[in-house]
Amino acid sequence: MVSISLRNVCLDYPLYGAYDYSLKRRLLGRLIREPAEMRIIRAVDDVTIEAETGARIGLAGPNGSGKSTLLRLIAGVYPPSSGGIAIQGNVVPLLGLNAGVNLDFVAEDNIALLLRISGRKPTRTMIDEIWAFTELETRMQRLPLRMFSSGMLMRVLFATATAFPADILLLDEWLSVVDEHFAEKAEERLLNLVSQAAIVIIASHDQPLLRRICTSVINLDHGRIASIVTVEPPATHAFQLREQRA
Amino acid sequence: MHHTQQTSHDTPRRPSVLHIFKIYYPDLFGGTLTVIRDICASLKDAFASAVLVCSQSAEKRQIVVNDVPVERVRSFGNLLSLPAAPTYPWRLWRKIAEHDLLALHAPFPLADLVFAFGFGRKRPLVVHWHADIVTHAGLRWFIEPLMRRTLRQAKAIIVSDHVLVDNTPLLREFEDKCHVVPFGIDTSGYDWPKIEAHHVNDRGRLVLACGRLVPYKGFDVLIRAAAAHDFELWIIGEGVERPRLAQLIEELGLSERVRLLGSVNDCERIKLMCLADVFVMPSLTNAETFGLVQLEAMAAGRPVVNTALDTAVPRVARHGLEAITVPPGDAGKLGEAIDTLIRDPERRRQMGFAARTRALSRYSATAFRQGMETVYRDAVTAPSEQRTMNVEPPPATAWFDSIRIAATLAWSDMRHRYVRSLLGPFWMSLQMAIVVAVLGSVIGQMSNADVLSRLPMLALSMTAWTFLNSVVLDATTALQNSASLIRDRALPPVIFLLQCTFRQALFALHNACVPLLLWLVLSPHDFSHGLAALPGLLLFVVCTFALSLVLGAMATRYRDLKPIIESTLMLAFLASPVIWSSDMISHRSTVMRLNPLTHLFAVWREPLTGSPIDPVSIAYVLVALALLIGASLLTLVHLRKAAFWI
Repeated sequence: MVSISLRNVCLDYPLYGAYDYSLKRRLLGRLIREPAEMRIIRAVDDVTIEAETGARIGLAGPNGSGKSTLLRLIAGVYPPSSGGIAIQGNVVPLLGLNAGVNLDFVAEDNIALLLRISGRKPTRTMIDEIWAFTELETRMQRLPLRMFSSGMLMRVLFATATAFPADILLLDEWLSVVDEHFAEKAEERLLNLVSQAAIVIIASHDQPLLRRICTSVINLDHGRIASIVTVEPPATHAFQLREQRA
Repeated sequence: MHHTQQTSHDTPRRPSVLHIFKIYYPDLFGGTLTVIRDICASLKDAFASAVLVCSQSAEKRQIVVNDVPVERVRSFGNLLSLPAAPTYPWRLWRKIAEHDLLALHAPFPLADLVFAFGFGRKRPLVVHWHADIVTHAGLRWFIEPLMRRTLRQAKAIIVSDHVLVDNTPLLREFEDKCHVVPFGIDTSGYDWPKIEAHHVNDRGRLVLACGRLVPYKGFDVLIRAAAAHDFELWIIGEGVERPRLAQLIEELGLSERVRLLGSVNDCERIKLMCLADVFVMPSLTNAETFGLVQLEAMAAGRPVVNTALDTAVPRVARHGLEAITVPPGDAGKLGEAIDTLIRDPERRRQMGFAARTRALSRYSATAFRQGMETVYRDAVTAPSEQRTMNVEPPPATAWFDSIRIAATLAWSDMRHRYVRSLLGPFWMSLQMAIVVAVLGSVIGQMSNADVLSRLPMLALSMTAWTFLNSVVLDATTALQNSASLIRDRALPPVIFLLQCTFRQALFALHNACVPLLLWLVLSPHDFSHGLAALPGLLLFVVCTFALSLVLGAMATRYRDLKPIIESTLMLAFLASPVIWSSDMISHRSTVMRLNPLTHLFAVWREPLTGSPIDPVSIAYVLVALALLIGASLLTLVHLRKAAFWI
């Protein structure tokens, strides 16, 4: 049983200025009784989300409205300041593509390393399958990533990140990073991945994309839920087609 | 009694409350205990109470006081006003799970310690703020962070008067959680004997005081005041100050008029209060927050003399209305105030009447019960702040995963060195070989000892030192360097601190070829010593990891620590026998003996040379390890917030 339950979750995000990183400054401040004021913003404010198997939730909102922070909160990167979070199922956060990449290593080693970081034992066939998806030449597997163009690099990273299904998938805006030809193929793969996951939460500015993928879209504003829109399912149509083909 | 039958038809199960304090009846009588007892008694229909305290008596651990089960943890005396009960935190931790609500009666740092480590987080906690820490104010810097953590965890903080919130900086931080519930008193017991004019003591000069005989109660001031005036003074209570007070009475020649009555039961005390003409509360410090006894005296219709503290004391019995308030610690003013009342029966009568009225109307037991019940109920029913469960699924596998990922990352770091150059980490080994050669020749110049036979040990010491130094220094920047994996892949930060130890261990294995070669060439080969050194070496590695964990986290939070750590490590290195062996210097310097690094090296170097380890070194290392493990556990709790720092 996979589920996400956030009840009245708040997150106070401390903003550390240059002085807040200094222990000397802090101790001195205490000696001369200067009030140590810590700036705090409420990045997530009283958010309640209940999601069961099958939920595809889109997070929309302007920059700084707390989309990424909310995803990180669910992923367990930040502890909530108050409220309750209960999650069942394994969470795979894909928030930044280039986390853990070592540009000096050859491509296949990087793929193997990334797979290990996400808890899988890489095999030759796995790497070959991932490589096939990138549509890059086989000999490039032996080249260090430093020599790849940024577009090619993104293909490799995208292919690796999306290679395996997850119970709960957290995605932050990163479809836009790939070039146009690849974008179509990437979206298809993403949709495929989404269709295999039990719960998907996706943060994006791309309203049409959210409408295609999600069952409901949550609009965030200053960390609060401004509105929840339920999307009528033209999206499921695409899924059914694929299932019939498979 | 009839309560026993009552339990049979309890309809729904009453939520249970665990009262946490340092001491309870029958070991002591006092205001705080009265409050706990009254809470237990007045809420017995709504809550099932239990008490966990310490006791110095070796008698039964489990007793029942007024129908309330009390568990008493063995204490071996008092240390800085705290019971020395080493098993208390453990018992508390065990008991937490059995109750629905925890009621901590602060200040009690021993319990704060338990909550500071995050235990009991799943149970709602209510803090009764009885007093601030005044007597041992020097320990504040240590206690206050603990208390802050407890208060942060608390659902509600109960104070007896709002003035406490205003005057206590720590409470002001949590103002929105504070609830003012003034203590209440059941006045029915005080109706005997009838308060009438003719009942007032004919001599008109009996002064009563009541409280534990401890310094802050100011009874010595009261006794001095008695010396200058002509009234009779009875003091109810027991405590450590008794011999001193008795001596003072003797010295001032007051044995005729001043009596220490010792502990007195409730009924007797009420009788005495009704008998007395004036009640005095000469307390000296803000440790006296409310003064429940003065409320009792008021209920008995007595005028009060109290002191101008920054607490509720002068607000319960107000100057000019129910009391005369004098500056604390001023024997002259205190004596005068008492004398004024003694000489003026009419004023005494008026004040006594006003006092009784105030006790009845403002501090009623009903209001107290309702106030407490509301706070307790809200705390129990408030949605419990369950913490993120996904961070700690089945912990064993999570830990194993973390270690595996750390090992993978460390392995890839090592391979990275080989990618850049064919020799890889052996470049560093080469460098170290040169250092050892140079150092060896320098030492050879300085002492006449046989340099060649020392070289393997020197090389091995340098390898170990390089390991420790690099692990700690790497750890100071590890979290920042892995920011994207922590924030975007939600990997636990501890992985990257572990990675430092693993990586440097791999490099140390490369470096170890230098001492190994030297040993093969220069020394007689005896493997048994190597085996004996293994436990010490393990201690060394564990200490190194714990140190890097603590310092790594701190240096990430406070960026200015890194240069300090660097220079401290260098100093510790120079003041330790890493390059010297202990017998090169005939008697070790004090600095060297105090330096933990000395002992951390000694525990594996001594067995390696075949000599026995100094027990002092073992003790030193084990204590350091215990401290480091404690600090590491605390760090692990804090590491949850590491994503904010990077």
